[in-house]
Amino acid sequence: TTINAPQDLPLFLQEPFVKTSLVKGSFKTIVQLPKYVDYGEWIALNIFEMFNNLNQFYEVFAEYMTPEAYPSMNAGPTTNYLWVDSSGQSINLPAVQYINYVLTWISNKLNDQSVFPTKSGGAFPQNFMKDCKNITRQMFRIFAHIYYNHFEKIVHLSLEAHWNSFFSHFISFVKEFKLIDKNELEPLLPLIESFEEQGKII
Amino acid sequence: YQQPAQLSPQSSFARQPAAVSKLSHDKASAIKLKLENYYQMAISHAIERNQRRLDLEHKLSSQETGSSEERKNRQLHSLGRKESQFLRLRRTKLSLEDFTTVKVIGKGAFGEVRLVQKRDTGKIYAMKTLLKSEMYKKDQLAHVKAERDVLAGSDSPWVVSLYYSFQDSQYLYLIMEFLPGGDLMTMLIRWQVFTEDITRFYMAECVLAIEAIHKLGFIHRDIKPDNILIDIRGHVKLSDFGLSTGFHKTHDSNYYKKLLEKEPTPATNGHGSTKGRNSMMIDAIHLTMSNRQQMQTWRKSRRLMAYSTVGTPDYIAPEIFIHEGYGQECDWWSLGAIMFECLIGWPPFCSETPHETYRKILNWPESLQIPEDIHLSPESEDLIRKLLTGAETRLGRYGGADEIKKHPFFRGVDWESIRRVDAPFIPKLRSITDTRFFPTDELVNVPDSPALSKAMEQQNNGKQAANIKEDLPFIGYTYSRFDYLTRKNAL
Ligand SMILES: Nc1ncnc2c1ncn2[C@@H]1O[C@H](COP(=O)(O)OP(=O)(O)OP(=O)(O)O)[C@@H](O)[C@H]1O
Repeated sequence: TTINAPQDLPLFLQEPFVKTSLVKGSFKTIVQLPKYVDYGEWIALNIFEMFNNLNQFYEVFAEYMTPEAYPSMNAGPTTNYLWVDSSGQSINLPAVQYINYVLTWISNKLNDQSVFPTKSGGAFPQNFMKDCKNITRQMFRIFAHIYYNHFEKIVHLSLEAHWNSFFSHFISFVKEFKLIDKNELEPLLPLIESFEEQGKII
Repeated sequence: YQQPAQLSPQSSFARQPAAVSKLSHDKASAIKLKLENYYQMAISHAIERNQRRLDLEHKLSSQETGSSEERKNRQLHSLGRKESQFLRLRRTKLSLEDFTTVKVIGKGAFGEVRLVQKRDTGKIYAMKTLLKSEMYKKDQLAHVKAERDVLAGSDSPWVVSLYYSFQDSQYLYLIMEFLPGGDLMTMLIRWQVFTEDITRFYMAECVLAIEAIHKLGFIHRDIKPDNILIDIRGHVKLSDFGLSTGFHKTHDSNYYKKLLEKEPTPATNGHGSTKGRNSMMIDAIHLTMSNRQQMQTWRKSRRLMAYSTVGTPDYIAPEIFIHEGYGQECDWWSLGAIMFECLIGWPPFCSETPHETYRKILNWPESLQIPEDIHLSPESEDLIRKLLTGAETRLGRYGGADEIKKHPFFRGVDWESIRRVDAPFIPKLRSITDTRFFPTDELVNVPDSPALSKAMEQQNNGKQAANIKEDLPFIGYTYSRFDYLTRKNAL
């Protein structure tokens, strides 16, 4: 039988790494909207917590992300994310700068009482779900960049089980609430499909 | 890309931990721990939430058919609203800014206890601050955390409730229910001695409180009058001992080892002036009621002791010092020492220095003496002697709290209802922020411990570079609990 030479695959798709995970069992229990619970609060808390975790994961790699080493925000050879500046222009940024912009932008959203109210009585805005979609889309890009560019370090740090589970959780969540379009998932589709086959994504 | 084949061979990529920096490894350990904690919490939150819903649904379905569908629906949605509020709360980053300090009501070596008011709701709490660096140094974190976790979940009326906790780079903050009645130490300073009836009440409640924590599988080891708090109705609660810093002072075995090696110089911090108390205090058993002056002096220094890093070993069982292992019965010893103090006015082994106290405790068969001019009923003396005795023969050693409850001293106590009856002393308060039962004036003058002053200085200088290592053990500390919050009307 002919089999793929593992070296042809990105490291994160190679065994045993692609099979490693921290969390066993289905994410259903912690992803699905609990009965009687407010939809907005549920989405908001999940995004809030996932953002904090992603932020902390990023911190592990931040010191390596010099503009010289990572001059663009890419996710594999065919995907390069551009930053849309305030005048609407798409520009190429070094990964570190792109990610910092994204993290700051999300963090500002999360701290904005008119988007993510925390005071008692504050209501979620009309376009709340649109904001959430934008946030999760950008978060996905950070996942994708790290998978393609920093997975070796993840392995050196023995972090792959945690990282894979966190990503599976994230995908389970965005799928459950239809937060990200399928074409946006493209760069990591083989990984997502593998996780689905392994039953790691609901 | 193609799908990974079914039988793909193992990657030839070699894991090389040395290829990344030490800092990265530290950061990686931190996120690993955080994520593990996150998933454990997420799952237990889900299970508990589900249980709450099932309980309510079950309750509603078992009600008589008379109650309307609409009412049932209302109740289910009310639960949903509370659950949603709780979710929102978990997104709320509580910080120091969310609370205003009303007053400092207690002080310890590694932090203080303040009466605070939450800005948005106006609700009142007690806030305890703990200096992380000190807790880390003291190497006590593992069990401190374990105990906190269980106690936080215990929901016992005998233990102070913990509502939230949060942290910044230097401190842990614990937001607890405020018990406006002060503590037993302050009551003893005020009343000097209690009658046997009053003693019986407090001891009986302490028996139940200690029994409650033992049932959770914990041993307190450091029960003392400052840890016995008085609630608004005058009943007893044990302070959240998993967090008590006194623990660190008094259970640092090296501390006692050092004491043994050299005669300590009188503690300079917080111990206050020691002049004039020298010879009088060497042997406390000579103190008598006629010697009120000395007793007062002792009490004063006693309180200062509570503020100092030295701490008092007065109530600690001998077996704890000698490292032969100990069991739950060590808490019954402490109870005996407190009972002695309630009836006689000072603890049984009180001395000029912790070292001397320590020596007396180890030598209890000789040093335990009940002053002749103080009359105790035979039952109370018998109970004291059955508690202040070797671990092997101590009351409660084999039969637990039940054995103690059956002692003649407690005859007539209604164990079932004691928490509901009127307490002998019910704090009379003018307002919810009344701190008359706390030595607030005195606290203003208590100097900060060296560790605290240093932390304060660093904070002012703005140098509080987050130390990943030191932060690691505190990952599980940011916390709040649904049950408490709803039931205590904090949501
Ligand atoms: N929840 C509370 N409500 C009211 N007062 C409290 C509360 N918790 C603590 N206090 C007061 O603060 C004092 C000190 O608290 P605590 O004993 O918990 O801290 P500590 O002195 O740092 O630790 P330890 O007593 O174990 O050395 C107590 O004796 C009590 O007077």
